[in-house]
Amino acid sequence: MAIFRWGMHFDPLAHLRQIQRELDRVSWPWTAGARRIGGGTYPPVNVYESDAEVVVQCEVAGVEPSDLDVSITGETLTVKGIKKPLPREEELNFIRRERGSGEFTRTVVLPNEVDAEKVEANLRDGVMTIRLPKKAAGKPTRVEIKG
Amino acid sequence: MAQDKSVKVKTTVSAAEAAEDAFSPLVDIYEKDDGLVLVADVPGASKGDISVQVDKGVLTLAAEARFDVPGEAYSRTYLSFEPGRFFRAFALSDEIDRDRITATVSKGVLTVELPKAEAARSRKIEIKVLE
Repeated sequence: MAIFRWGMHFDPLAHLRQIQRELDRVSWPWTAGARRIGGGTYPPVNVYESDAEVVVQCEVAGVEPSDLDVSITGETLTVKGIKKPLPREEELNFIRRERGSGEFTRTVVLPNEVDAEKVEANLRDGVMTIRLPKKAAGKPTRVEIKG
Repeated sequence: MAQDKSVKVKTTVSAAEAAEDAFSPLVDIYEKDDGLVLVADVPGASKGDISVQVDKGVLTLAAEARFDVPGEAYSRTYLSFEPGRFFRAFALSDEIDRDRITATVSKGVLTVELPKAEAARSRKIEIKVLE
């Protein structure tokens, strides 16, 4: 689900979110400070960028490396995976169930073209870090004008 | 490589754990014949960063998510999570044997086993037929 290209810090709802947080603080003081997680697009991702590379991080707690698939097509990075259910889940007598399981796909439009051959992905304690070196900026190609 | 993934369970809380500004981890809890199992997602936290404590009938999960975040040279193009603290507390029923609670962590998933006290387990009562 590639929506738009990142590159600017523009959140049209930022102000509303701030108001919502303030109202939450007043209405439910016992939850003040406790930041809620979950409920958004899974997995959550962070995108960082330097002159040399783009770094994408995602939270995939409990997902095996063999169940993750990272691919790059042009300027689009796709992370696919399966969060496996608990063993013999259908037989379990759940009292509370919030974690969820199943297949997921997340697409990130990269701010730059990257060198797909040199991309590295590391998974540690349920956080995957993908390092994508930017393609060296090529010299502008001069187009010969005939006539 | 056999790794010790067990998390030490303390039976007293030394100091009030600050829940302020912490993330509430998502959990699954299910019941087995001999106890309850609590599974919590704590991405970014490894064994040394997790504390599971029981005090006055309250089970407290606290974990520190530590993952390397690119430095100052990197712009934050899009952020939806950050390193930080996970914290959540649960009231334990008296049926749980507090001294036998064990916890393990693997791939950012914390599993806490809460065995039922012997007296609280359901047992089959034999019916004797009186002649």
